[in-house]
Amino acid sequence: MRDIGRLVLVLVVICSLSAASLSYVRTSLATRIEQQGDYYVRGPALARLFQQPASQLLANKVKITRDGTEYPVFFRKDGDQVTGLAVEAAGQGGYGGPIVMMIGIDLATDTVLGVEIVSHSETPGLGAQVEKAGFRQQWVGLPLGSSVALAGSGGSVDAITGATFSSSAMVDGTNQVLDLMNKNRAAILAEIAGR
Amino acid sequence: MDLIILAVGAIFVQNILLAQYLGNCPFCGVSKKTGTAVGMGVAVIFVATLASIFTWLAYYRLLVPRGLEYLQTLVFILIIAALVQLVEIFLKKQSRTLYDALGIYLPLITTNCAVMGIALLNIKHGFGFVDMVVYSAASAAGFALAIILFAGVRERLFLAPVPKAMRGTAVALVTAGIMSLAFMGFAGMGK
Amino acid sequence: MDFKQALTHGFWRDLPPFRLVLGLCPSLAVTAAAENGLGMGLAVTFVLIFSNMFISLLRRVIPDKVRIASYIVVIATLVVLVELSMKAFFFPLSQQLGIYIPLIVVNCIILGRAEAFASRNPVLISMADGLSVGLGFTVSLTLVGSLREILGSGTWFGMGLFGPGFEPFGFMVKAPGAFLCLGVLLGLMNAWSRRRGEIFVQT
Repeated sequence: MRDIGRLVLVLVVICSLSAASLSYVRTSLATRIEQQGDYYVRGPALARLFQQPASQLLANKVKITRDGTEYPVFFRKDGDQVTGLAVEAAGQGGYGGPIVMMIGIDLATDTVLGVEIVSHSETPGLGAQVEKAGFRQQWVGLPLGSSVALAGSGGSVDAITGATFSSSAMVDGTNQVLDLMNKNRAAILAEIAGR
Repeated sequence: MDLIILAVGAIFVQNILLAQYLGNCPFCGVSKKTGTAVGMGVAVIFVATLASIFTWLAYYRLLVPRGLEYLQTLVFILIIAALVQLVEIFLKKQSRTLYDALGIYLPLITTNCAVMGIALLNIKHGFGFVDMVVYSAASAAGFALAIILFAGVRERLFLAPVPKAMRGTAVALVTAGIMSLAFMGFAGMGK
Repeated sequence: MDFKQALTHGFWRDLPPFRLVLGLCPSLAVTAAAENGLGMGLAVTFVLIFSNMFISLLRRVIPDKVRIASYIVVIATLVVLVELSMKAFFFPLSQQLGIYIPLIVVNCIILGRAEAFASRNPVLISMADGLSVGLGFTVSLTLVGSLREILGSGTWFGMGLFGPGFEPFGFMVKAPGAFLCLGVLLGLMNAWSRRRGEIFVQT
């Protein structure tokens, strides 16, 4: 019996030491890990969207939580005025999993600036064509206050031939962002102003 | 239909051994006879599927709600190690025949990166429960298929006049390369 | 094994993965580029040195029955540490290596050294053993990675070597190339051993 007690004791001590050291390292590195992720994963999409270096934009970040999903929102300022937003959303229903996209919004004209893909695991040559400029061109100038749908279900977005899943994931992500903007616009702007 | 495509893709196109390079130590170690290869293959199918279910549940039910995703590696390896022990004890008590057939392979499986790899890939691909079970079983079946085919080749290779320096692991790796080349022909099937 | 031997045996006598045929998976998986091989090797070296240190320190405390379980906890903790610091300081590399970083935990070299060496030797010599085997592994991985990258993409550590006229031998950076490259290197190394009169064949 004493033997078993010793076994358990040793294991418990080792496990707690390991847990303690890991949570310490994790807490001290958390911000840095997030910044690195933003820089390498979101940075390129952000830079293309606003046509300016990502380093000027990455610090302008807030997180909006809605229905249990967290949406990272980046903003662009001209002077004191917030002129543009970039909202990231994960479009569900892609062939290889969710498609993470960033949708740029022009607050002056209430239209969509464009869409950039942050990450995806779609089939090369088929679903991966969501990255092509020709397909994404359909997003430029979409009005806020509406929702989008594929042409096959009566909407305006022409799906990529042979990649309906990927196309509808793009539509899903876009609608998440449009809906978020319609219902939470004031809250987002307040959050930004409060920083 | 999607599940069939997923399974075919996991067995042939993304073969865990020949395309994803996981589980190579047992691949070279226990593939000298077809009999042992079959034993190892079956044991891996069994443990990998079971381990994937438990690790998937642990990840989504325990770690994600508490924001502890970074402990994934630690938790997964402990689950796999504990599971292998439990399966061994259970088989010993319940089914003597099965234990005699698979028992000696079980301890080897703890450090088999195919099992851990499948568990990690499930999370990486963001599978739901059903997809995860199908993918794990199919990937492990792909491992079994590759190791059994390979054992068949190696049995013949044993009789071939291989240059002295290439004997053993060296020629095994080259053979695996040629098999991997053959499996590349499946690309385009499934996903 | 004396201290000097512990410090040098990893570079030839027990050079992984060629002489000590363990850790084949990362040797195949991450060696499509030299940089990845180097990064993986250094990560493994770090884990190896410290897992050997802790296991050697704890060798009289840990009861035999829970030996393996304790080793696994120690190793897994170190691997998570590597995972976190790589994400914080070498993000692109950590994306490149992907699931092969957490898979260091099942790398047989580490558990093998813990069981065969650190569990029965004092601290300093165990760390020396970890350093030597780890660096040996790093050298091997970088070598395989360089070979595959130069032939397969015409670059070395990302630098173009041959100019635009070079048609890369794409086969080398794919899975079959990995197996073939490792097998042929192993064969060459065996041939060299035989010439030096060492009797050594992997079984």
